[in-house]
Amino acid sequence: MASSGNKSINAKLVLLGDVGAGKSSLVLRFVKGQFIEFQESTIGAAFSSQTVAVDDATVKFEIWDTAGQERYHSLAPMYYRGAAAAIIVYDITNQASLERAKKWVQELQSQGNSNMVMALAGNKADLVDSRKVATEEAQAYAQENGLFFMETSAKTATNVNDIFYEIAKRLPRLQPAQNPSGMVLLNRPPAEKAAGASCCS
Amino acid sequence: MYGTQSKRDLAFEYQAQVPILRPSIHARRANITVKFQDIYGFTVEGNVDDVNVLNEVREKVRQQGRVWWALEASKGANWYLETHVSSTLKSSLKFTALVNQITLKRLIRKGIPPNLRPKVWFAMSGAAKKKSTVPDSYYNDLTSAVVDKVTPATKQIDHDLPRTFPGHPWLDTPEGHAALRRVLVGYSFRDSDVGYCQGLNYVAALLLLVMKTEEDAFWMLAVLLENVLVNDCYTTNLSGCHVEQRVFKDLLTKKCPRLAAHLETLEFDVSLVCTEWFLCLFSKSLPSETTMRVWDVLFYEGAKVLLHTALAIFKMKEEELLLTYHVGDVINIIQKTTHHLFDPDELMTVAFDKVGFMMTTNISKQRKKQEPAVMAELDQRFRRLNSTGEENDK
Ligand SMILES: Nc1nc2c(ncn2[C@@H]2O[C@H](COP(=O)(O)OP(=O)(O)OP(=O)(O)O)[C@@H](O)[C@H]2O)c(=O)[nH]1
Ligand SMILES: [Mg+2]
Repeated sequence: MASSGNKSINAKLVLLGDVGAGKSSLVLRFVKGQFIEFQESTIGAAFSSQTVAVDDATVKFEIWDTAGQERYHSLAPMYYRGAAAAIIVYDITNQASLERAKKWVQELQSQGNSNMVMALAGNKADLVDSRKVATEEAQAYAQENGLFFMETSAKTATNVNDIFYEIAKRLPRLQPAQNPSGMVLLNRPPAEKAAGASCCS
Repeated sequence: MYGTQSKRDLAFEYQAQVPILRPSIHARRANITVKFQDIYGFTVEGNVDDVNVLNEVREKVRQQGRVWWALEASKGANWYLETHVSSTLKSSLKFTALVNQITLKRLIRKGIPPNLRPKVWFAMSGAAKKKSTVPDSYYNDLTSAVVDKVTPATKQIDHDLPRTFPGHPWLDTPEGHAALRRVLVGYSFRDSDVGYCQGLNYVAALLLLVMKTEEDAFWMLAVLLENVLVNDCYTTNLSGCHVEQRVFKDLLTKKCPRLAAHLETLEFDVSLVCTEWFLCLFSKSLPSETTMRVWDVLFYEGAKVLLHTALAIFKMKEEELLLTYHVGDVINIIQKTTHHLFDPDELMTVAFDKVGFMMTTNISKQRKKQEPAVMAELDQRFRRLNSTGEENDK
């Protein structure tokens, strides 16, 4: 899809959400196309990257999959600082995980960068029989707060690539001339960015 | 347990349990990936070179075992317990103790033979002493008293049992899950400030694999959290871990100034990789025998060993890291390096000879210096988040 003349964008993306909501599983599905029934719990955060092509650009996501346990909360700013996008994940079979997701949204709105593209993912959509969170409820919340919303399943792959693709489409495009390293780094003057990128050449 | 088996038996048992790895003819070309099980039962993926390295390591481990046996023969079975130089000792004994102390430090940095690990760790870490201060039935009483209790900690533990080294031939069995559960749940009741912190599952799992009994693994976990590691590493806001990250950042700037400056321009925060290292004590990053070698020294020399090891990993790849442009490239290099560190000596040499001496007292001073800043930062964040919460609630 991406032709050679296309812009190439590097975008830092962070996944936040309750323990066991399926953040690591979503990343594994998106990056490797796999699903593992028992995914190791994440400590601190795990890094991976994956590229998607949208109409006018190739977006390379640098993905930070964070740990869900409450006490790891204090580490989160390190991961969402400077992020161009965030996926906030909850588990549709667990009402408390939606409440946790709302807390994350609140935190990103007050601490994160204002141009951040935010997506709300209601994961484990394959577990219809144990559903506790109605689609409409999450949808309404997302709309009110300016997030886009999808129900996903890392297990069946439903909507997983789509959510990343949708984010890629919504990322702001910066002028390539001022942005040699291709980073979507907002909130910083271009001069500083250029200095940062040229130091090592 | 140990008493009933003669040293010769143990030595023999160990020799017998170390098969030489022979990759098939087809795999003899490098860059072909082979899968095999290491001595702690973990599945390792590597190329033929890695397999060769592992075979060499096994041979070195065997030689190291012979050195330990020879020392036991000449100095007595528990010589390594008598290295404390106390002022009440007669001067001739003081000298012997001092010699033993120096010998032991060197020896431990070269590695404790796997079959001696349970005994040596238990003695020198202080776990034996800790256990001796409570009634013999402490662990059994504790685990049976809490078996049916449900707390946030036990819920989280139950959730993590199948997610701790999944696929391991013993850990990932009902028996393995049950043992890990008892150790973690037991500890969560022993120290309710720590309760359960994700990361401890990996540490406790490895302790279970090494120690001969579940109870000893429990005491190793206790001594680790209560005496060996820095305070508050695993409590509510991981403040101890934050402190350690800052101390490490300063150390890196001091020991590898060019690299530290380069990483700073890339906006690479070392905590991005160090958090997992310091909370899982490298168990998720390094091959198992290499992790064990770090732990050998950790239990003898203390928490600064984690800083040595982390510094060594950066130092080993300094030149390569200086050529990176992106945070992602840095992480990839570091991850590839740690996953392939099959030769523990390679790491240990850099960690202790090349990185250079670090005074424990200096490091403690650094920690003290960082503490107020960390507390202030965490506190400020907490208040800011709470105030935005209130505004939204109105
Ligand atoms: N049925 C179903 N199970 C899922 C799905 N996604 C994840 N899981 C399961 O949920 C459990 C937790 O998934 P993880 O991806 O480890 O969750 P996490 O959010 O990364 O958890 P932490 O790292 O502890 O914060 C695993 O056992 C997964 O197999 C899904 O879409 N459907
Ligand atoms: Mg995870």
